[in-house]
Amino acid sequence: MRRPGWRVADLRLVLVAVVHVAAWLAIAARLVDVQGLHAEAFAERGLEQRVRHEELAAKRGTIFDRDGVELAVSISAQTMIANPSQLADPVGVAKLLAPLVGVEEATLVERLTREGSQFAYIARRLEREALDNVVALVESLDLEGVYFIDEPKRVYPAGGLASQIIGFVQDDDGVGLEGLEYEFDEVLAGTPGALVVERDPFGNPIPQGQFLVDPAVPGSDLVLTIDREIEFLAQQALTAAVERTGAIAGTVVVLDVQTGEILAIANTPTFDANDRSNLDVDRFRNRAVTDVYEPGSTLKVVTVAAALEEGVVTPSDVFTVPQKLVIHDKSYTDTARTGEEEMTVAEIVARSSNIGTILIQDQLGNDAHHRYLSAFGLGQVASGQFPGEVDGSLQPVGEWCKTTCGPSTAIGYRVDVTPLQMAAVFAAIANDGVWVEPHIVKEVLPGRGAPEPFEPKRRPVLNAETARTMRLLLQGVVERGTGTRAQIAGYTVGGKTGTTEKFVPGEGYSETDRIASFIGMAPLTEPRIVVAVVLDSPQGELEGGVDLRFGGVSAAPVFAEVAEAALHLLGVAPDAG
Amino acid sequence: MVSETSRVTPISAAPSAAAARARAARRAGDRTSVLLLLPVAMLLIVGLGAVLSSSSVVAIREGADQWFYVKRQIVWILLGTGALIVTTRIPYRWYAKAASGIFALAVFGLVATLVIGDVRGGSRRWIELGPVTLQASEFAKFAQVAFLAAVMTRKEGYLDRFSHLFWPVAGSLTIVGALLLAQPDLGTAILIAATTFAVLAVSAAPLRHVVGLGTLGALFATVLAYAQPYRRARITAFLDPAADPLGVGLQPIQSLVALGTGGWFGVGLGASRARWSFLPNAHTDFIFAIIGEEVGFAGAIVVVALFVFFAIIGMVIAYRASDRFGRLLAAGIVAWLSLQAVVNIGGVAVLIPITGLPLPLVSAGGSAMIVNLAAIGVLVNIARTPAEQDS
Repeated sequence: MRRPGWRVADLRLVLVAVVHVAAWLAIAARLVDVQGLHAEAFAERGLEQRVRHEELAAKRGTIFDRDGVELAVSISAQTMIANPSQLADPVGVAKLLAPLVGVEEATLVERLTREGSQFAYIARRLEREALDNVVALVESLDLEGVYFIDEPKRVYPAGGLASQIIGFVQDDDGVGLEGLEYEFDEVLAGTPGALVVERDPFGNPIPQGQFLVDPAVPGSDLVLTIDREIEFLAQQALTAAVERTGAIAGTVVVLDVQTGEILAIANTPTFDANDRSNLDVDRFRNRAVTDVYEPGSTLKVVTVAAALEEGVVTPSDVFTVPQKLVIHDKSYTDTARTGEEEMTVAEIVARSSNIGTILIQDQLGNDAHHRYLSAFGLGQVASGQFPGEVDGSLQPVGEWCKTTCGPSTAIGYRVDVTPLQMAAVFAAIANDGVWVEPHIVKEVLPGRGAPEPFEPKRRPVLNAETARTMRLLLQGVVERGTGTRAQIAGYTVGGKTGTTEKFVPGEGYSETDRIASFIGMAPLTEPRIVVAVVLDSPQGELEGGVDLRFGGVSAAPVFAEVAEAALHLLGVAPDAG
Repeated sequence: MVSETSRVTPISAAPSAAAARARAARRAGDRTSVLLLLPVAMLLIVGLGAVLSSSSVVAIREGADQWFYVKRQIVWILLGTGALIVTTRIPYRWYAKAASGIFALAVFGLVATLVIGDVRGGSRRWIELGPVTLQASEFAKFAQVAFLAAVMTRKEGYLDRFSHLFWPVAGSLTIVGALLLAQPDLGTAILIAATTFAVLAVSAAPLRHVVGLGTLGALFATVLAYAQPYRRARITAFLDPAADPLGVGLQPIQSLVALGTGGWFGVGLGASRARWSFLPNAHTDFIFAIIGEEVGFAGAIVVVALFVFFAIIGMVIAYRASDRFGRLLAAGIVAWLSLQAVVNIGGVAVLIPITGLPLPLVSAGGSAMIVNLAAIGVLVNIARTPAEQDS
């Protein structure tokens, strides 16, 4: 028999069941809220903690010489990083890895034991053997909290060759800092890609998650006009000359006269882009384009060429040339000459007579003179492909004084030029009077798309006839004038010496220091190259009392050495007995 | 008594008629059993899938193969099914006689856990036996229900006297509770207390006594919850998870993120993001979050519905039980399993603080699976036992 209590208890059982169902209904309502009405906010938070927008590095373009040999190239390297908070034994790891990665043990211990740190570099840009060793160790010990990331390394296989031209990139982020690496940084860098990926808290991609890749566009390659071997020989010759003459610095430019291609630019002092620790930034300067000097006698070619082209003189015209000429408050003299002489235009050029050239310029006039200086590219940036390239200075003719300005300009003062500008002037004479824009980048090879060759600007300045006449005058300089040390066995050579008092900003002209230069071309029958040599402050004397400060003495032999080697390397046939 | 006509066996029935009625009652019990086992089987299947998805990442990270936890879960389900078949055949009235022994065994297990147990995550809850670990607290849940049901049945005549009610209830609860708190495992202690309250509620004890004891227990639980810093932290985390998103707030936040990511229809089977080390204990305490993420509200509500269905059928079995002990035992088992599911899912949905209880039949885990299925077997036995003549 049932007791009366059952009935009450029945109700209470139903009540308990109802309470249960009510609890479940509360849960269902909560799920509607969390998964339906307010799901968005929670889902958003989930995306925030999983979805990463990452940059895919673009491979930096390679810089090649004209023959396709690598001058600057990015190689794959890996940077080792750690999450110190995940390391079981930071000090042990530091001691283990320090000798393998070439980082000081104390430094590494300090990096890995920093309080609360989630990120530390162990070593950057490990490559080849060092990388293999470290990877093997990490795998064999199953080390947790250590990771590798790709970080390409920029190397310069040619070492110290053409360093100022190529420049270099910043170690940390691979951005170009100097040279073509800087000037063409955007072209070389390419466009980074983007990666959208869901990652777990340890950084591993979640297989089912979003994965969107917008691949990186690799940077364009640069093909330079540089000939590695000529560059090497030019650098050798220049370094030797600077040492021999006691000069502070020097520059050699080798131009292909028909194409305007820069076959070599050598600078001293120089550096190796692979190891730049503790270097004076002076060494990074590409003096051929960043430094100006007063060209002195080498600029006489413009004065004489202009006078010939304008028909105011002919090579055989005779001038009565005094030993000394005083104009206004300034006296002009010719070195190594005494008394008044009758000189032809050819002789004036060959013997580099200041006064003779001033007399010729007087016939030419300032306006015409200036027109030619400008047409030859002076006062304007020569190539525009180099960073820090300067335009020099050429005053507008309206600002020239009526007294000494013309005469001084005639003999290469009052005009600031770069070695490259002067090389281009001589190249125009060599190239039958057509000035061609000198350039270093022959071709840009984009990561995608067709090659983009560089088309240099061309500008006729002289008649071919005038140019040929000028070359004969320049041949006289080398054969019987001031530039005899520039002669090369087997080739006809023409050129011009230059020696100017060095202008020191803030101090004026130096009593002792000279800028010595020689710019020449060969072979004269069909010129192929121009070589410009500029030495900053050569010192001392050769045996027999020859003063090294003169361009014909110190710079001309460098010309001969470089030009001869270059002609041989270029396979140019000899044109003289 | 009109409402009970269908269930009351007339005294005057002839033995043959009584036998026929008994057969009819057993058939009805069989039908109810099938209805009970249907959601159970479905929950087991859901659980297997969810364990596969939620445990593969952690298994690989622990150095095992991705099927490690699934394989074990299958073994547990098979063992549990074996236990269920056994308990289905044990006449439930036997537990009334054995109640004291069962209770003593549970207490012994809990004491043994404290003595030789393994400490994991700051708690001493497991006894390691070769490849398996035993959790005595799972068995204690059943023991407490059986013990109380037996005592309440035996003392039915004295329940209006408070001391007769108070001492067995308070005594058993204090012993079990103290041993659980020593581990510490407040979640299980509270669950056992709540289940005890449910058993009391359906017993014949006067309502004022039931309410009185319930209030006392609730007060006591609140004090305990706030007494320990880590428990207080869980409550703080529940109230304001954002205050410490990487510490105590981590689980509530990541659990909600998983549920919200699932939305109405889920991200797809095996596509859970939370399981990638965002949500700790994804394959155990937080398996419901993974379900909610992968199959969305649509799937989550099905799981909820299965539990509700199970609870209702369970309560029907309790209602129809052939005697007082059967009713209390059945109601206790259903209350325990259903409450545990409510507490687990409520915690996952951050409706109540997180307690660290697994989801019955679904979460990965051996002891719980075997004990749960065995208890369900007891329910089946209660459903299939016809009322005794002239009880």
